[in-house]
Amino acid sequence: MFELSKEGVEFVKKEMQRYETKRSAIIPALYKVQEENGGWVSPECVTYLSQLMDLPEVWINEVLNFYTMFNKEPVGKYHVQVCCNVSCAMNGGRELADHLCKELNIKDGRHSEDGRYTLSRVECLGSCGTAPMMQVNDKYYENLTKESAVQILKELP
Amino acid sequence: MLKCKINGVEVEVKEGTTIIEAFKIAGQKIAHYCWHPGLSVAGVCRLCMVEIKGQPRLQIACNTPVQDGMEITNQSEQVKETVRWGLDFHLINHPLDCPICDQAGECGLQDQYMEFGLYTPEMAEPKVKKHKVVDLGSKIVLDTERCILCSRCVRFTAEVTKTYELGIFNRGDRSEIGTFENKPLENNYALNTVDICPVGALTSKDFRFRQRVWYLQERESICTGCSTGCNIKIYFNEEGLFRIRPVYNEKVNGYWMCDEGRNIYKFVNKENRLLKAKKGRKGEWLEMEGGAAAKDVAHHFKSLDKERIALVVTGQFSNEEYEALFQFYKKNVGNDFVYHWINNKESFEDFDGLLLRGDRNPNTKGLLQKLEDYRYEQTWAHLEENLKAGKIETLIVAGPENPLWFPDLKEKVQQWGIQLSHLIWLSSAKVQAVDEVECLTWQIPLKTFFEKDGTYVNYQGLEQKSHRIATIVPGALSLSEAAHLMAGEEYKVDMAPILKGPKKNYYVHRRGYL
Repeated sequence: MFELSKEGVEFVKKEMQRYETKRSAIIPALYKVQEENGGWVSPECVTYLSQLMDLPEVWINEVLNFYTMFNKEPVGKYHVQVCCNVSCAMNGGRELADHLCKELNIKDGRHSEDGRYTLSRVECLGSCGTAPMMQVNDKYYENLTKESAVQILKELP
Repeated sequence: MLKCKINGVEVEVKEGTTIIEAFKIAGQKIAHYCWHPGLSVAGVCRLCMVEIKGQPRLQIACNTPVQDGMEITNQSEQVKETVRWGLDFHLINHPLDCPICDQAGECGLQDQYMEFGLYTPEMAEPKVKKHKVVDLGSKIVLDTERCILCSRCVRFTAEVTKTYELGIFNRGDRSEIGTFENKPLENNYALNTVDICPVGALTSKDFRFRQRVWYLQERESICTGCSTGCNIKIYFNEEGLFRIRPVYNEKVNGYWMCDEGRNIYKFVNKENRLLKAKKGRKGEWLEMEGGAAAKDVAHHFKSLDKERIALVVTGQFSNEEYEALFQFYKKNVGNDFVYHWINNKESFEDFDGLLLRGDRNPNTKGLLQKLEDYRYEQTWAHLEENLKAGKIETLIVAGPENPLWFPDLKEKVQQWGIQLSHLIWLSSAKVQAVDEVECLTWQIPLKTFFEKDGTYVNYQGLEQKSHRIATIVPGALSLSEAAHLMAGEEYKVDMAPILKGPKKNYYVHRRGYL
């Protein structure tokens, strides 16, 4: 059974105070849950959050399903998000993603075999000037080439 | 009051009225899916577009309040084209599986398309595939591909039942309605979502695939499921009754009714009815017509000791029937051993906060009033005492129409079978326990609310008339008819037309297309 840490609960409570309706605090609360649940939000997390925030489960599930920033299934140790939107695509973002899949042994286009990496192709991450780029967990890596990207990922602890 | 012109028709409306309401008041047609008078305004279907004189852009009628002097139309070419495009968009990902869809014939998409659409589709893209035949518990099946995301059902569970089961998940053309983790939708008002669903996304497990709606007739009546007395519409044909839906009545039920009430049609259909009158006891029954049995009772009545007769009544009959029964009792028996059989006593005062009341009788108020008028004041304990002491030999029971709501039925009947020498059992329902009693018994089949006229008084004291629709069991009597016949009077029994459905293709003719 998932539970937020003490700071997590405090954070959610504070966010609930911050908006006119507590429904507005669902997004920050879900971020917190995702952070503490190892990168994804499970159905149990939704149930837990609905009890904590005293909101219906469907409301939380609606938000969770709407946004792609929330992961609905477990992710690897490193969640690699490769931008494939206009600027990055023009500079080889899509090819970069294909290359990473090959190099990191990602067969189904999502998880590497050893579970270390999960790769998603995402829309604009707001770093067009430094395309192509990727985000690994919370960190941006910019001005990538195929080689440098693979090197960065392999060198991660 | 505000004055406005709707398609050239002048109407006066109250302040705060929306344009779509004004259209309804003016009796003008307007296309819409998401707007429902009993729910909040969502403004998502974009079909109720209207043109307001002096405003360059079209507005949605459901979310625009009427202002004084507005001239509104939905007859202009611009509006018609917009609605056509709107419909085209609604149908982009709709599977068009009407031949196997249970909503066909009463589907909003079909209706609005014939009324406002009639375009040639221009979509060449493949359709988005979504979940089909999602099981939402014991009552409802969901087909998310057919859904047009009007959000009526979502608003219903949020605003009316406040149970918040349904939501819209995902986004864009992959949006679909559903419950969290496919939890079943089991609240007692869930079938209202099927009624308000304009398409075939939510269908009732009880009704789906049993009849095509164009083979059904519909008539209005009163629900006899509890003391609220919701106004209902019954759908039936020559094969029997198939479903019940609510009818708007501001004073009683609003737009809704509960799911338990929807089941009452099952107790009108032949399968659960006492079809023939019977005389005898366990193992030796003689079948006869209802009228003949009542006359036989009248004949036998003369030899009975009048001081050892008692009458038991339930709150399931109409005022007129109580009157006739008590008249009969007063004239032919004369004692005051009249007892009110209260079913599920513990939950009698319950109320679920919406419509369903613990008192599962349509006319308890009417019965109490009649008991008072005739000064019948005996308590149930008095009956039990007398039975035990052997002071009562004959019991006349005006029994339940729906035996499900009488949990003590079997136990009581068994007990009477031992304590009595004669039992006169008047009921529309087939009751196993009565077939097994040891004393001499007459079972007389009664008519249900569907087969007789009558007045019911609901918990508020509101009198509602229910009208005879058709006959299901030929030879069944109303309680008044039975009372007159048991009194030995000549009485003309209403045996009239056996249930006949509409002509095949009734709806097709009405609509004028095939």
